[in-house]
Amino acid sequence: MNLVQLFLAVVMFGSLFSVLTLSLNLQYARGGMINFGTVAYFAAGAYAYAIVTQEPPSGLDQYLVGLHGPWWAGFLAAGVAAMAFAVLTGWPTLRLRGEYLALTTFAFAEMLHSLLVNERRIGNGTVGLANVERPDPGSLGLPDAWTYAGAAFVLMLATALVFRHLLASPYGRAIDAVRDDEGAAEAIGKDIARLRFEVFVISAVPIGFAGALYAMITTLVSPDLFTAEVTFFVWIALVLGGERTILGAVLGTMALVGFQELVRAIPFESVRAAEIAAAGEDIVTGVLFILILRWQPFEAMMKRRRAA
Amino acid sequence: MTRDLLVVDRVVKRFGGLKAVGGDDGLSFAVPEGTFLGLIGPNGAGKSTTFNLISGVLKPDSGAVMLDGVDLAQARASRIAALGLGRTFQTPRAFPSLSVLDNVIVGADNEGERVGMAFSGRWRIRERALREKAAAVLARVGLSDRIGDRVGNLSGGELRMLEVARQLVRDPKILLLDEPTAGVDPSLQVKLSKILVDLHAEGRTLIVVEHNLHFLLRIADRVVVLQNGRLLSQGTPAEIKADERVIAAYLGADHAA
Repeated sequence: MNLVQLFLAVVMFGSLFSVLTLSLNLQYARGGMINFGTVAYFAAGAYAYAIVTQEPPSGLDQYLVGLHGPWWAGFLAAGVAAMAFAVLTGWPTLRLRGEYLALTTFAFAEMLHSLLVNERRIGNGTVGLANVERPDPGSLGLPDAWTYAGAAFVLMLATALVFRHLLASPYGRAIDAVRDDEGAAEAIGKDIARLRFEVFVISAVPIGFAGALYAMITTLVSPDLFTAEVTFFVWIALVLGGERTILGAVLGTMALVGFQELVRAIPFESVRAAEIAAAGEDIVTGVLFILILRWQPFEAMMKRRRAA
Repeated sequence: MTRDLLVVDRVVKRFGGLKAVGGDDGLSFAVPEGTFLGLIGPNGAGKSTTFNLISGVLKPDSGAVMLDGVDLAQARASRIAALGLGRTFQTPRAFPSLSVLDNVIVGADNEGERVGMAFSGRWRIRERALREKAAAVLARVGLSDRIGDRVGNLSGGELRMLEVARQLVRDPKILLLDEPTAGVDPSLQVKLSKILVDLHAEGRTLIVVEHNLHFLLRIADRVVVLQNGRLLSQGTPAEIKADERVIAAYLGADHAA
């Protein structure tokens, strides 16, 4: 892997996962909701895209539905699917607070995962849906990797801009008030249930879009790709970048993806060496997480900058 | 004859087996529009519980609370607030991540806090008017020079004033203040009593819970005295001052007679 490829991989996956981190940032840092089921909205988007765009089943296929629709229909369906899943999971759970909400959202994500594994009529069970249809940039004379990296980057920018727009308005002020003190917010007539629900649902939509783009890039959706590991990855990225700013969420994700891609890019002589490197990567990620939680260097940096 | 803006009708509230508010036939009193009602009573008399029952933080076990003819039994606290009830808390509460000005504006603005508003940008026009209104209210409570400050830098007394400002900007039909003088230095107390007297003169309806009897008896025009969750006495400040049961409840039976 040369430097250009490394750069493209970091931009592509970094931007893609930044969309997830940004959504988590909106839910957690601004909305005060701990969602440990982020991967579910991502999976809902990816599967919705695959199902809408793939051909009807044939041969050994066990899935029931393939609409063979155009890519943009699949992309829109991904947003709708993530939103629908957020409505379904948010409505009964958002009265819960703190760790209870975290546990419930985690459970919902695990339920979706089990459903995808065991219900073969959705997406072929553990096998997943291979050869996911996607637009070919080559037909327009565009280089494939650059185009998808660019698409991911644009999706990230759009998400960041939309969120920023929302948060800079009185809406952002209201959700800040609700997070700061629910009782005092109720005393000035804020409908806490509505605000929390809206934030929860709005922040799920870009995750669904990211899921669709992820399916296009990997051309495969299978339950293996959508485990709780994705959720934890995004949480680590959020903590890494500091939870208060949009830029922090993006930089944290880019740094984490960059580190992973860097390890992946090392040319290993043997399988054993690659295995050791993979284990090492997990250990370093874990240690980084602990160190940052302990000293919070980025938060301190932001504070110094604000004070200056 | 003015109409009753707030009616507390045979309200009973139990905590565990204990009757916190109500007595035998429940707590009843009415607040005519434009009244400045002082709610007093010794510690544990049920003043704050009564407040929470009126503002919807607690729900009565039986009996009803009516605001301007609307039964509040099923209404959530936010709905009651939207119906025109403003309240402050015994310990002042602010939104620490918002500036002093935003802490007030957030009280006035419910219309602008919609997703559609955020994207259409229409809120920008409203925002200018809201800022002016909030700044005027802040000037009224003497916090003009703290407008851009963070709430973390305010003193306890200033936080109380900020809370009053956040409610005033909403133009509530009725304003409930929970121990507004607690932790407020004497000079600020004078300012506070002037604000309350002015609000009353403007025809607003106020209910103030206070420990500080002298403060309240000077400025309220009607007083309700609670003891052990029951109505001990009610009347004008002069009547209350002369009521032996009240004197006994506050100073001990020896002082009565």
